[in-house]
Formats: sequence, C-alpha cells, structure tokens
Amino acid sequence: MMKTACSRRKFIAAMGATAGAWLARPAMPLARAVPASRVAVGTCHEYGPEVVGVLGNMFDQLGGLEGLVRGKTVAIKLNMTGLANTRLGYLPPGITYWVHPQVVGATVHLLAKAGARRIRLLESPWVTAEPLEEFMLHANWEPRDFLNAAARVEFENTNYLGNGKKYSRFWVPGGGLMFKGYDLNHSYEDCDVFVSLAKLKEHMTAGVTLSMKNCFGITPCTIYGDGAPEDEPGLVPLGGRGPFHAMNRLPPKSAPPAVNANVFLSNAPKNPGGYCVPRVVADLVAARPVHLAIIDGIHTMTGGEGPWTGSRYVQPGLLIAGTNCVATDAVGVALMGFNPMADRGTPPFETCDSTLRLAEQLGVGTRDLNQIEVVGTPIAKARFNFRSV
Amino acid sequence: MNLDSKWVPMKWPCGPLEIARRNKSQSINADLKEMLEAWGQPSALELLKGTPINCLIVDWANGKPEDSAQQQALKPLLDAGRQLGISFVGKVALKEGPGAAVAAGRAAGLSAVMLADASGQSFDLPAILQLEREKVSGETASTIFSTKENAWPGLNLDTMNGDTAMAGPTASPWVNSNGWFSLLAGKLAPGKTLWLDFDPPDSSNLLHPANYGLAIADSRAYGSRWIISLDDGLRAGLTKGNSQAKGVWGKLCKAVAFFQSHSEWEAFEPQGILAVVSDFRGDNAYLGEEVLNLLNRKQVQFQIIERSKSLQARSQDLKAILWLDKEAPSAEQHSQLLDFVRQGGLVIAAAYWGPPEVKPTPKDPSLQYMMYNVGEGQMAVSEGEFQSPDQVAVDTHLLVSRRNDLVRLYNPESTNCHSSIDPGHKKRLVQVLNYSLKPADSVTLWVNAQIGSARLWRLETKDALTLRGVAAAPGSDFGLPPLSIYCALEFEGSNL
Repeated sequence: MMKTACSRRKFIAAMGATAGAWLARPAMPLARAVPASRVAVGTCHEYGPEVVGVLGNMFDQLGGLEGLVRGKTVAIKLNMTGLANTRLGYLPPGITYWVHPQVVGATVHLLAKAGARRIRLLESPWVTAEPLEEFMLHANWEPRDFLNAAARVEFENTNYLGNGKKYSRFWVPGGGLMFKGYDLNHSYEDCDVFVSLAKLKEHMTAGVTLSMKNCFGITPCTIYGDGAPEDEPGLVPLGGRGPFHAMNRLPPKSAPPAVNANVFLSNAPKNPGGYCVPRVVADLVAARPVHLAIIDGIHTMTGGEGPWTGSRYVQPGLLIAGTNCVATDAVGVALMGFNPMADRGTPPFETCDSTLRLAEQLGVGTRDLNQIEVVGTPIAKARFNFRSV
Repeated sequence: MNLDSKWVPMKWPCGPLEIARRNKSQSINADLKEMLEAWGQPSALELLKGTPINCLIVDWANGKPEDSAQQQALKPLLDAGRQLGISFVGKVALKEGPGAAVAAGRAAGLSAVMLADASGQSFDLPAILQLEREKVSGETASTIFSTKENAWPGLNLDTMNGDTAMAGPTASPWVNSNGWFSLLAGKLAPGKTLWLDFDPPDSSNLLHPANYGLAIADSRAYGSRWIISLDDGLRAGLTKGNSQAKGVWGKLCKAVAFFQSHSEWEAFEPQGILAVVSDFRGDNAYLGEEVLNLLNRKQVQFQIIERSKSLQARSQDLKAILWLDKEAPSAEQHSQLLDFVRQGGLVIAAAYWGPPEVKPTPKDPSLQYMMYNVGEGQMAVSEGEFQSPDQVAVDTHLLVSRRNDLVRLYNPESTNCHSSIDPGHKKRLVQVLNYSLKPADSVTLWVNAQIGSARLWRLETKDALTLRGVAAAPGSDFGLPPLSIYCALEFEGSNL
C-alpha cells in the first residue's frame, strides 16, 4: 500500500536512520563565506528516510546552517495553500501541492541540530483562524511529529493577530511597488531567521510559486482579505486574498498605504492579479527578507498551484535550497524548464509580470544564472520540463 | 392489526378529495384530473408489482363534502391492494372527532389511520401520529410517527446561482438534509419509526425530476423512512407509460430495494466521541437543532443525550460532552459530568460548574473559551453565552480536536457521511451521500482505523465491491468511485 502521510513512528525512524548517519559525519566547516547567490540542488525521489540526508548535504553545500541559526529563533513559512480537505484526485496535498511533512520534519530536525533555539512553523490557512495544528490534522498531518523533531517547536496561524498584541509593520525598502509597507502577524518580526519552505509549482496568476510566492501567504486576511473592514483589521479572516488578485479594494486605513492608490478599483489594469500579485510578493520579500529558501520538488504537480487549476501529478525528484530567495527561485524556474530571465508574455509569465525581475529590481537578489553558483546536481542534469510532461 | 415498522410508505394522492383540493388551489387541468382519477383505479397498483413499496397513504377524511365520495371511490383500490399484500393508511384531517372516519376506515379495510392529534382517544385502528418536530418524544410518538417541516434534501435551492452552488460562511455549499433530525428523533423517541413527510420541490417535473434516490438515502442512512411522494409530472408520465418516467421510477424503486436488502443496518448505532446534551425544546430548540445540523455538515460524528436523561448510561467511547442549554445540570448530572472530566473527558459549556478553586487558562486566541483543568480532563467554558450555532459547531470541533475525528472526507464538495456501528462492535458502516446533482469525483473517505479493505455498496449494483484501503496514519484512506447519490462502506474487524 502506498503511504499517504508519514506516521509519527515512521517519521522518527526515518530521522533516526538517516539524520543519524548524516550527522555522524565529520563536521563541515560552518558559516564559511559563500556567495550570496549560491544555490544547492539535490536529487531525491521519495519522501522517505533519504530526505534528511539530501537536505543535510545541501545545507552543507551552502556553507552549513549553524552560523545562521545557532541560538536563534527560526520562523518557517510553510506552503499549505487552499483548504486542508482538497486533494488532486486521491493524492494528499503533501505530494502534490503542499510542502511534504517529511520535508518539514527534516528541515526542523536539521535546524535544531544546527543549534536553532526555537522553531516556529507558520502558515496562514485559507479563511480560518483555527490553530495551525488543527489545520494540519485536517489534512491528516501529525503535528506531534514536528514537535518530536526538535526541542522547541511552536505553531502559529498567521492569518490574523494570533498570539500577538499587535501587528508588526514591515516597510519596503525604497518605498515598495504596490504598498509602502505591510502589517503582518508578530511571528514574522519575532524571529531572527526567516525560512520560506515552498513547493515547486506553476501558478495560475504569478507564473510560478516558489520560495518568494510562498511569502504571499504571510499577509493576514484580517487586513488583506476580501472581508477586511475599512478602518481596522478584522478579528478573524473572512475570505481569501481577493483584493490582491482583483485590485478591487484597499486594505483598512490602519495599514500602510498603497504606493499609488489610483491603480486600484476602477483604474485597475486588465488582468489585475498578474500585475498586483508579483509586485506584492516582491515587496514582501524585500520588506521581510528570507534567510533560507527551500523548495520541495520531490513530487509535485504541473499546470498550477493547486487541484483547482486542473493539473497533473509529477515526480521531478528535486530539492532546492539557497540563502537568497531570488537566486533560489531562479534556479527553480530553470529546473522547471523555463528561462528565469523571461518576463511578461513569455512562459511561465504569459499573463503576469515576473516576480523574479521585480524582486531583482528591488535589490533582493539576482535571477541571472550566470551570477548564481549552482552546487550539487547540475541544472542540465536535473531539469524537469513542466510544460513537456 | 398493529403498525408494521417494515412498511415502505408512499403517498397515493387520488380520488375526489384530491381533485377537490386541486380545484380549490386552482392547480388542476384536464390531464391532471385524468391522472388523479387513473391513480384511484385498481389497475394503477400494477406499478407496485415487484417493488418493495407495500404501504400507501391515501386521503380518507378531510371534513369536506367529498369525504364520503372519497371513501366510496377508494374501496375497489383497497380491495385490489389487499390482494397484492398492500396496506393502506388513511389520512384523517378533521377538526372534529375522527371516530366516525376511523370506523369507516376499519370497515373499508384500512390498516391504520394517520392523524394530527389523537388527543388520548382510542380507536379500533392503529394510529400513526403526525407530530410537529418539537413535540417528538417517547410519550407523544406512536410506534410509527411522522413529521412535517422536513427539507427536500440537496443543495439549498435558495443558494444556487444557475447550476453553481454558492458557498455560505462556512465555505461549504449549503445543503439541506434531514439527517440530523432523524438522529434526534431516534433519540427522543427510541424504538419508534419516523416517517419523514415531505414533497418534491415545485420545480420537479418529468424533464428535471427531483433527486428521489437522495430523498430515500438521506432518510434511510440516518434511520428514518421517507413517505415516497412523486411529483405530478412523474405520476402522469407513469400513467401514460412514458419511458423516461419509468426510468425515474425504476431507479427510485431500486434505491428502496437496496435499503430493504440491508435492513440489518437499521440496528447499527450512530458512532460519536462527542455527546450533545440539550432538551431541544422551547428556547433551546433552535440552538440545539442547528448545532446538530452543522456538526453533521462538518462530518463531526456525535451522539445525542436528551437533557433529562442520566449521563450514567453514556457510551464508554465518549471523549467530550457539549452541554448546550442555559439550564445547569441537575445535582446527579453535575456529579456525573465532573466524574467524566476528572477521568480525562472534556466538557464544553457556557458556564463553569467545576470546583471553585480551579483557575482558568485561556485557550488558543482563535477560540473564545477559558479552560479549566479538573483532574485528568478539562472544562472549556465559552466567554459568553452560546449564540451562533455555526460558531458553536466550529469551536466544538476544534476543542474536541480533529485528532479525534472518526471520519473525514477529502474533496467532499457537497457530500456528507454518517458512521455507525453494529451492536456487537464487529461491523462498522460509513454511509456517504452526495447532495449535488453532479457526481462527486475523487472523493476520499478517511476512517480512523487501520483497515485494509472495505465492502463498497452502491445503489446501482446488487453486489458489493472490495475497496482497498491506503494506510494514512493513524487511519486509512479509501478512494471512492464517482458518486452519484450514495455509497456505503462496510468494515469488519476488531479495531473499528
């Protein structure tokens, strides 16, 4: 029988088997100076014990995690888009359009082993303020597996105020492309290291959704959602992030203002989502920098970001990681068979602007493969053409 | 003669009373009149040959001048029906005492009468009482009783935009179902049989027939029976031998026959780790009923405890008790509830009745509850009165935790399910219903037990298929084939 979710016992066993082997190796030189645009590519064909080992090697290739996380609070934004009970056919979300729990557990485990003091798992599940653990359980994930993967693991649903007393304000350096700043759940400020743990997918609105687009979900729907009030944040999220897709309303007055409010409402461009969403994403990764980008492409889907886009299950067998989200996504785009230098009108950005170009424009990182050092499996060897399968 | 719980009832409108009623409502035309007359003829009973339908509900007395003509006109039908083994129940709707009408019914060979109010009278014929929902109880209900105020099951037509179902605040399409009420009635009037009285929507006609199979399944899956009621177009089509009408009728009969062939499931008990306690009366009725409706819609499997009953006899499997009413528990119930909590249970209520020295701690910020740790368990106390039934249902599911789910549906669309278990706890049944007219594709049923296979029963086929499970710790996933109306998964084992 095919295993559809990692049982706690199997997960821990997997940790013990391969994490132990990997960790028993001679210590790698840690935190050595590496180019900011180094990206590691690993091949991994199943969500089994090998995930810990492959990810561990990749982190080594990036120079090790210890210098980044030792003694720190690490926040990990997961990719759990959509509803917990939606599947691509009969396949659970972890192997199609969510980051897989095995990759989450392996990351938590490796961060803890590298000395992270506290690890927070974050996501803003669609249309709900329920505890993140309950959302996970609904998808048949076992939150205890993550608690057992490190000494101090916490969960927070960041789709509303959550455990915070107030929202944290992040200004976009240089003034931003869509908004001058964003109000986010406190967990995105109360951390020393921010990790984006994404899935390798295309996206109906933004062309691709990788480590940068994953950060679109850090915006709380109490402020940026369809049902947000006009003046102040709502108490609970109502609806999704429709206003970013339709540009049909502005956030409450309490939130940082739009760069140009005139492009909203009746002046919104044709296909507003393809204009607004990439800009918001670029703003967000500029305002809330990603220290470690990880992309799960072991198994995934083509054609869009979730089953609602009409898609196909594929197994590229890839993991990608880097300390710069633009460079990491550029490698991801290349591995998907696209040109990371492509822009609006060219695949995968046929109907939208390139988030990579916009983020590059904001100085977040480079998308030019010539300036990115790819370590591990070469792109040419690992490429999995999403439009040809 | 006694009421027979095995009767499969069907409304059989015909004769002078029905024609008079239609005349009054100006809904009659020549074709309809012809059909109503035809259905009063013995030959109309040919339709029932080979079907499980064995009990016809006919209008008997309405206090109208046509009463006598009706009773006279039905005599040949009743005589012919008896030859075919069909029982007749005469519906008596009189403002004055029904004694004479009942006596006439007995003389004519009725097996029973259906009355809105027996008022303590005794008759020579058994009576099926028609009760308002809020008056159902063990004392008021006859061995077989019926209720009105029921919904035609399916997507709520008021929330449809063309063929598209509009989601409500719960992000799920709004669905009408009588399932929760069947469960409630089963608890309020234990051992008695509920007949649900409801008619097809006005939009139902031969070209776009109502979802009759769903009306049957939504009743049977939850332990009641629908009084089969056909729309005029279908009945007219059947009178004329229309092939499309025969097709609709054939499917309906097949659905009834399916449930008749699985009558052993009627003894299965609803499963649930949550007990909902209320008297479901008066001011408590709306909240109690809606919470049941919404918990069911969220696939939360529950048991019902009528508030006046002792909690001592509660199921050993219970993990949580939701006390809905404003009224505090009796001294005995208070003691039982605290015992339950001390032993590790969870009680959810709008007021705290635990030991005064226990100080509360806040729950997750998304939940407006204070938690009191008492012994091994907890009391979750709402920060205000219970008001919104949807919020109570959502909060209850989260407080009990999805960790304790017995079943889950993935890609549920407009499907729902009901889990029950045989008295010996050797067989478990999960019945899945699709409330949409569109087939539900790629639905996965998750059950909280590690089970390798299940028997899959469908209305369309006589024999069961074996469905393999996929391990999905701590339970198992079962991918369902495209689901038009209904399927049931039957599990066997010691770990159910």
